[in-house]
Amino acid sequence: MSDTKKKWFSLNLNNTKKRTSSSCGCGKTEGGCGSHNTQNPIKKPKDGYQQVFDVKMDRRSAFKQLTASLAIGAGAVSTSCSMIAGEETKEKAQIDWEEQFKGNYKLMTDQEKNDTVNRLVRSYQLRTGKSINMSSKNAEEDVLFGYAFNISKCQGYMDCVTACVEENNQDRNSQMQYIRIHEMKDGQGFNFNEADDNYYHEVPAEGHFYMGTQCFHCDNPPCVEVCPVQATWREEDGLVVIDYDWCVGCRYCMAACPYDGRRFNWSTPEVPEEEVNKNQHYLGNRMRKKGVMEKCTFCVQRSRSGQNPACVEACPTGARIFGNLLDPDSTIRWVLENKKVFRLKEDLGTEPKFWYFMD
Amino acid sequence: MNMYRNIKKIGFSFLLAFLFLSCKNEDHGYHSVMDKIEGEGKSYKGVSVSSESYIDHIKTMEITTGEHTFLIPERKSKIKSYKCTECHAKPLKETQLTGSAKKAHWDIGIVHADKNTMNCISCHNGDVMDELKSLTGNPIDFNNSYILCSQCHTKQFKDWEGGAHGKRIGGWAPPRAALTCVNCHNPHDPHIASKWPVRYNSVKAEERK
Amino acid sequence: MKTMKVFKSLIVDSLNTITHGTKKYHLWMAFLTFGMLVGMYCYSIQLEEGLSATGMTDSVSWGLYISNFTFLVGVAAAAVMLVMPTYVLKDIDFKQAVLIGEGLAVAALIMCLAFVIADMGGPSVLWHMLPGIGVFNFPNSMLTWDVIALNGYLIINITIPLYILFRHYQNKEAKPRVYLPGALISVFWAIGIHLVTAFLYQGLQAKPFWNNALLGPRFLASAFAAGPALIILVLAIIRSHTTFKIPDKTIKKIALVVTVAAQINLIMLISELFKEFYAPTHHSESAYYLFFGLHGKDALMPWIWTAIPLNILATILLTFHKLRNNLKVLYFACFILFIAIWIEKGFGLIIPGFIPGSYGKIAEYTPTGIEIGVTLGIWAMGAFIFTILARTAINIETGVLRYKR
Repeated sequence: MSDTKKKWFSLNLNNTKKRTSSSCGCGKTEGGCGSHNTQNPIKKPKDGYQQVFDVKMDRRSAFKQLTASLAIGAGAVSTSCSMIAGEETKEKAQIDWEEQFKGNYKLMTDQEKNDTVNRLVRSYQLRTGKSINMSSKNAEEDVLFGYAFNISKCQGYMDCVTACVEENNQDRNSQMQYIRIHEMKDGQGFNFNEADDNYYHEVPAEGHFYMGTQCFHCDNPPCVEVCPVQATWREEDGLVVIDYDWCVGCRYCMAACPYDGRRFNWSTPEVPEEEVNKNQHYLGNRMRKKGVMEKCTFCVQRSRSGQNPACVEACPTGARIFGNLLDPDSTIRWVLENKKVFRLKEDLGTEPKFWYFMD
Repeated sequence: MNMYRNIKKIGFSFLLAFLFLSCKNEDHGYHSVMDKIEGEGKSYKGVSVSSESYIDHIKTMEITTGEHTFLIPERKSKIKSYKCTECHAKPLKETQLTGSAKKAHWDIGIVHADKNTMNCISCHNGDVMDELKSLTGNPIDFNNSYILCSQCHTKQFKDWEGGAHGKRIGGWAPPRAALTCVNCHNPHDPHIASKWPVRYNSVKAEERK
Repeated sequence: MKTMKVFKSLIVDSLNTITHGTKKYHLWMAFLTFGMLVGMYCYSIQLEEGLSATGMTDSVSWGLYISNFTFLVGVAAAAVMLVMPTYVLKDIDFKQAVLIGEGLAVAALIMCLAFVIADMGGPSVLWHMLPGIGVFNFPNSMLTWDVIALNGYLIINITIPLYILFRHYQNKEAKPRVYLPGALISVFWAIGIHLVTAFLYQGLQAKPFWNNALLGPRFLASAFAAGPALIILVLAIIRSHTTFKIPDKTIKKIALVVTVAAQINLIMLISELFKEFYAPTHHSESAYYLFFGLHGKDALMPWIWTAIPLNILATILLTFHKLRNNLKVLYFACFILFIAIWIEKGFGLIIPGFIPGSYGKIAEYTPTGIEIGVTLGIWAMGAFIFTILARTAINIETGVLRYKR
């Protein structure tokens, strides 16, 4: 991942750390994240949802989307019935058809979850010739994820932000980022109005401290309440997730979130093919399409297999602590029980599972 | 008039039905997430995932300090010039040079507390060169250098034991493995230098213009 | 079988009616068609590019579409102010206006639905919202309540006038026994749709600007001012362009409704302003932004400072009997009141809810040309639908359209 190819603005003046060519944010070249396919450089700049579904259409045929469900479906049927169509085209059409009319992931049986994941993997393979690894791993019993953030330790380097973007295949064009780091002046309390979350100078700046925000995975999430189609919900392990394929894009959840935790794909998200993290989860970092919500999932593809989220792993200061709230011996529990912790906007009753503390 | 009454009744029953339906059913009836943690944590039986595979490329050692037992990276094999006795075969006093001769380890400057408090032999054992020593002169193994740090930095040490200070490696799942003091802080210059943030969001800046 | 035949004849006749008319009528319809085509073209661009074709961002995630939606729900709800006196209280003075009012409600509701669909990121998966096939998050999501409320109200407002017109078309009296229950339900329902739409915003603890108990009642008051004001304007146009007789008495009675609602609305506005500015907390920042601008950002100031004086002026004009009873003054007052409330309850309500953002950042919102094009297209569609409905209804009511055996 050469820096010249990046579409976002980034200067690496003091960052002497040599970047490995791994596509996931863990920074390891072996073990760990698995599936680092660094060979086969790909030239095709195809990206985002188009990698999964080639739904490109010209302006004239865009009108079909007005009756899209049926139009796409009918199209798929007619292609699949066509005599000249090749086996692969037929299979693609079949997959598109089934994907268009599949149900809500939340209500699927394990078998159905597995089927949709296999379809998406196969679809990606048919279209790009590359294989990805997509999981549909369910929440584990006796797990409730929680997060703690040490505001005395954070120095505002933003390594977490970069790791998050790379891990979660976020749109590079709109520079979407789940995490924001707020630079606050000492002596003004937690005054977000005066804080700067888009600084660019040497950090830590004299007389300032840093506070990161992202989705807090509330235990009583207002975003989940308001979704008209239950496309977002809280999993048993406390993660608030979205079924990107079920979301209708009304953005009511976005208005309901008091923490700016949600992001919308205003246009088709683009990730250069060679930067795509191929270790994916259905509810996590798989490719999104335009017009759907997305958000931090505490890196469900990592956390459900025992790893820390990319931001925790990337943080050079150890300001970010992640763990299982139900495990009495976990470090997160020690922090909650021994440090003076607080949460943001606690008075709203949202019960975030994201605590701040100081040394 | 009768009809009006009936219609009113229908209207009210609609209203009641709506009110009934709109009662939210809170799951398990926990009042707050802390109650939930306490309630559901009681029957904690452990998890099936493990972070062992994520640290198997690092040589670790298990330590027990206070009430906590966890893994830290083994240190000695990572120090390039260890063992020290390969050069310093004799105790320091016997090898000390006087006069204008070039000093060994001239590239190491101590930027750790002030000269009054710290010099080389505050930590290094001048008699047994392969070991560190405590303030009272007891030997401390290079692998357990955290014990040395803990003599002064008691608050940080307590936080590190508990997991509030320092950096976890591997993953959140057991076994717990954490970096030790010297993995992040250069013991001769423990302050972490400032640098530039790795990114700047030009789209956000544009939006807020 | 006979009913079907009559119905078929009604459709043929009304098609005949709406395709024939004066040159002015054809020009009007051509103008609206052009507007709709422009809107559809803009929408096709939006479909292709995604909602990035609009001025909305992650900071201000609802804009012109939802603003217009909110306002039009009010217009639709206002039909009840004519339905109740006519059908329920048997006040015949409203009789001539009620069908027009219901036609307006139907057009407004269809516009509402169009605005919501235009605002969706994935209109192709809207079937996910259909109960039965999709997942309907009822009763938790207020949006599902709104879907039920709007569609239910749409059905009520189509069936009642259709029944009445259908009877009149056959030269028969409409039986109150049949339409009265529907009319009664529609009274509750009209208040319901507007309260539910207010609750959509009011229920969000994340947005202090909306999260106040007065929002619902204020929605109602402003709706019952703006809606009948529009009806008065429409009646004035119909009166001067068709043979349909609408007595002054009817218009004056509706004007009374507008007056009372506008007065209540103004009182609530004062109460709200008092709360925001007498003891301002950081929850008042949105109101500060709206009225005075914040940190040098003041895009909404010209709008709200247009709306407030217009609102006050209209209310004063309406309050004095002498002025109100002068039809020219009345029309003017209704027009400025309509504009004022459109601003105040449209983007004067929706946009400041998002500014400043959750963490105090200010990103202003300016609609793009595409967005404005789609909006105008939907308004043109609403006017088109209303014209068709009103023309058919008037021709039946005036006896031009009759079933020929």
